[in-house]
Amino acid sequence: MKNIHLTYRHKNILLSAAAVIIACIFLFPLYWIVVNSFKLDSEIFAKTPTLWPENFTLKAYKDQLGSLSVTMKNSVIIAVGSMLLSLCLSVPAAYGLARYKVRGMKLFVLIFLITQMLPASLVLTPLFLIFSKLGILNSYWAPILSTATISIPFIVLMLRPGFLSMPKELEDAAKIDGCNALTSFFRIAIPISKPTVITAACFSFVFAWNDLAYSMTFNTKEVMRPMTSAIYTFMNQYGTKWNSIMAYGVLLILPSCIIFVTMQKHIVEGMTSGSVKG
Amino acid sequence: MQSNKREKREQILGYFFIVPAVIYMLTFIGYPIAYNWMISFQDVTAKTLGSAARDFVGFDNYKLIFMDLTFRKALLHTFVYTVGCLIIQFSLGFLFAMFFAKKFTLSKAIRGFIVISWMLPVTVTALVFKFMFAESNGIINAILMNLHIIEQPIGWLLQGNTAMLGLIIANSWVGIPFNMLLLTTGLNNIPGDIYEAASIDGASGTQKFFKITIPLLKPTIMSVLVLGFVLTFKVFDLVYVMTGGGPVDATEVLSTYSYKLSFQLFHFGEGAAAANVLFVCLFLVALVYLKTISKDEVI
Amino acid sequence: MKKSIALLTALAMVAGTLMACGSSTASTSGEKATEAAGNTAAENENAASTDSGSGTTSADGRTEITFWHYMSEDKEGKYVNQAVEEFNNAQDEIYVTAQYLPRDELMKQYTIGVVSGELPDCGMVDNPDHNSYASMGVFEDITDLYNSWEDASFMEGSINSCYYEGKLYGLPWGNNCLGLFYNKEMLDAAGIAVPTTWSELEAACEKLTTDTCKGLAISAIGNEEGTFQYMPWLLSSGGSVTDLTSEGSKESMSYLYGLIEKGYISRECVNWTQADAEKQFAAGQAAMMINGPWQFSGLADDAPDLAYGVAKVPKADNGEYASVLGGENVAICTGANVEASWKFLTWITSKEKSQDICKSIGRFSPRADVNVQEMFADDPLSSVFAEVMPSAQSRGPSPDWPEISAAIYTAQQEVFTGQKDVDTAMTDAQAKIDAIGSK
Repeated sequence: MKNIHLTYRHKNILLSAAAVIIACIFLFPLYWIVVNSFKLDSEIFAKTPTLWPENFTLKAYKDQLGSLSVTMKNSVIIAVGSMLLSLCLSVPAAYGLARYKVRGMKLFVLIFLITQMLPASLVLTPLFLIFSKLGILNSYWAPILSTATISIPFIVLMLRPGFLSMPKELEDAAKIDGCNALTSFFRIAIPISKPTVITAACFSFVFAWNDLAYSMTFNTKEVMRPMTSAIYTFMNQYGTKWNSIMAYGVLLILPSCIIFVTMQKHIVEGMTSGSVKG
Repeated sequence: MQSNKREKREQILGYFFIVPAVIYMLTFIGYPIAYNWMISFQDVTAKTLGSAARDFVGFDNYKLIFMDLTFRKALLHTFVYTVGCLIIQFSLGFLFAMFFAKKFTLSKAIRGFIVISWMLPVTVTALVFKFMFAESNGIINAILMNLHIIEQPIGWLLQGNTAMLGLIIANSWVGIPFNMLLLTTGLNNIPGDIYEAASIDGASGTQKFFKITIPLLKPTIMSVLVLGFVLTFKVFDLVYVMTGGGPVDATEVLSTYSYKLSFQLFHFGEGAAAANVLFVCLFLVALVYLKTISKDEVI
Repeated sequence: MKKSIALLTALAMVAGTLMACGSSTASTSGEKATEAAGNTAAENENAASTDSGSGTTSADGRTEITFWHYMSEDKEGKYVNQAVEEFNNAQDEIYVTAQYLPRDELMKQYTIGVVSGELPDCGMVDNPDHNSYASMGVFEDITDLYNSWEDASFMEGSINSCYYEGKLYGLPWGNNCLGLFYNKEMLDAAGIAVPTTWSELEAACEKLTTDTCKGLAISAIGNEEGTFQYMPWLLSSGGSVTDLTSEGSKESMSYLYGLIEKGYISRECVNWTQADAEKQFAAGQAAMMINGPWQFSGLADDAPDLAYGVAKVPKADNGEYASVLGGENVAICTGANVEASWKFLTWITSKEKSQDICKSIGRFSPRADVNVQEMFADDPLSSVFAEVMPSAQSRGPSPDWPEISAAIYTAQQEVFTGQKDVDTAMTDAQAKIDAIGSK
């Protein structure tokens, strides 16, 4: 008995060590972003790159605090708005496609597939025309509506397999208990697939949070622009300000990192919980 | 009679769930797609962009781009790039998913960290890789030279092949966690007792992998591959920022070339035609995907 | 399967027609959306909020117009905003809102604006691109207004870039050109004089190039900047954009490629913008660079202690000094409030304002009645550019310039990366340029 316990511990240490090494190599670019955000330009352009800043400086961060409050607020509004909108539309759609024998099911799946086939840069003009007709340029609606088009098909296709593998007996049992379609969707399907729905929510948040093209094109006014737009300010005719870009990169991922790392626990625990196994 | 009625009810309920999202997508993306097709058959250049009555030119724009050497290269590059990325990110993503599915202390935490690379804005990723791949003061050359793997610094983004490799590496860095996450979800959905039963029957690890994991994971694998293909095939920002399609046209892909045709050279018709070629390629992939899902339907 | 594709096409078409024709239905639902968005946005909007498009009248009876520019906010943009504020305070009829957009973004907005009609009242455009956008219909024809403007006095090369098919579509805003920046310390240490000819430059590079420092930094990136940087070399050896296969044209390309092959110029120049070249120079990674006066402020920030000088771009051994005209024009957009915009633009390009603004933003006034040589006589750096300015040749003007330029920078990249030899690259580029008209 003791023996088994020991091997498990050894294995645990071994695996953890391997995981740390993998993470170190894999996340090196991330480390590089963080480290360079603390360097001065002269050190960044030195012939031999330094692994640790010789002159540690917070200049790159201080430079951007001024505009941060407005752009961050915009980013939050756009990302949360887009996330809510996409969840409201895509989770039911994924559920419907998985649980109901609908005529034209394949057609619908095809629609979700093909509507994510053109990169944002190639749909800017026609989308601009739509938003111009709707009169929602220079408002939060334009980036919210446009970024939702990225997440909706993505979430539908991502969630559908999950709903497919959900045991139907659960819902059948619920029906006998008097649940109708809507209540069984909210009371059974959503709780069971909570982890996947949370994952989907995180994805759509990140998609909208990282959007640059849509917000730049549809909102020409600075007061409406999200954090990502500041990247442009550091890539102007005065050159790429590497340390500022890196610092901004760090600031940009901090919120989504925090959300994701905390949610990750939810996701994994939810996934391994018993309900799916039935 | 009864069952017929029930089927109808099922239909209506199903549509109730599905249709809002479909209408949304058709409105906001269906129109741009239709718009692109429309102008790809018209003579749209700088001079005619503003006018309402543009000449219908049939397939002239398509003929023009297919005669264009850069376009043909871009088409090839797009496939090379996509296949390269898919191979790397799917295999490594799968390995990572399997690895972190093992239960050890740090598994969840580190898996969470790895996902960060996927959450970075692509512009930042592209810039940091451009920076790391620089010839004279890039960290990658510095490391490789310190390890004596190379003697001379490599101009990664200065030659066609290495520039493409650089792009594939950068994109895979973003794609691996994405693949890993989706495959993890799939792995977790496989009931554990199946493995237990197999173990009792004396199945080896490899057998379990090929007889249980792969078949049960097939729907997930299919959607991961198809989504990965679509997302990689249409990549724009990463290439645009990291190499701008260069040097010369060595890393030009369909999306960047279409954008250049439209917004830099003002051949809007040809730009739309190039975008539609991209669209058609992905459409064919989607049809293949649809064929496979019908077999997997549980219901 | 066939059925679903057919159905899908039908659906897409329905969606298309709905969007295209259903503006009446769209606007009703759109109004609600705007209202809601307006509420959330309201707190951000200050009193000066205007929609792009034709000028609107504000509560205090002033005509409001928008002016889009790409002078980045932390540097030149400050001076643009100052000037606009001054204009707003100087009179009470017109209120101008200046809006900064990154250059690529602004150009994209013009293109999209032609289709959607969402254009500002007036805006800035890079002078080689002016013709293309004029041909697209972005700008208003202001020939008559200009002819009746008493104060109209611009340098020929600058005002010519605003003409398209005999009509005037804008006014010059600021000029610049290229020169040779050199690191004084490095040149002194190597004991060499500032090079004036190509062979002197090559000799200087040979002495200045070390393991950690290149002799010269240039930008040969695959866009307009690459062409702009190549032009002085091309013109100096007697080459020309219309005859890339001439001996002079080829000589310039061979010369530059020679410098790269010998390691005097980094091969990475094909990925460098002019700003990247400046970073290299500022960090001491290059002893000299080809760049323009707009980099003065950047150099002051990046390397405040750097002692540097400026000279003309060296000339071919048997050629003349040559320079190429860079800079911006301003123009009134189609469908805008022409009258108000004209008042603003003629104010900001008037003799007095033009010389002030241009001086603060590292440009040279394009006006014929501003003597830039005199103005900068005491400034050892700017005077070099001021001297070259009058002879600077413009790119184009041609609505096809973007394509001509693409042929040139592509040839340059092909040669510099060793994909093609000079003869082949230049012949191919010329063939592309010849084919432009026939397309």
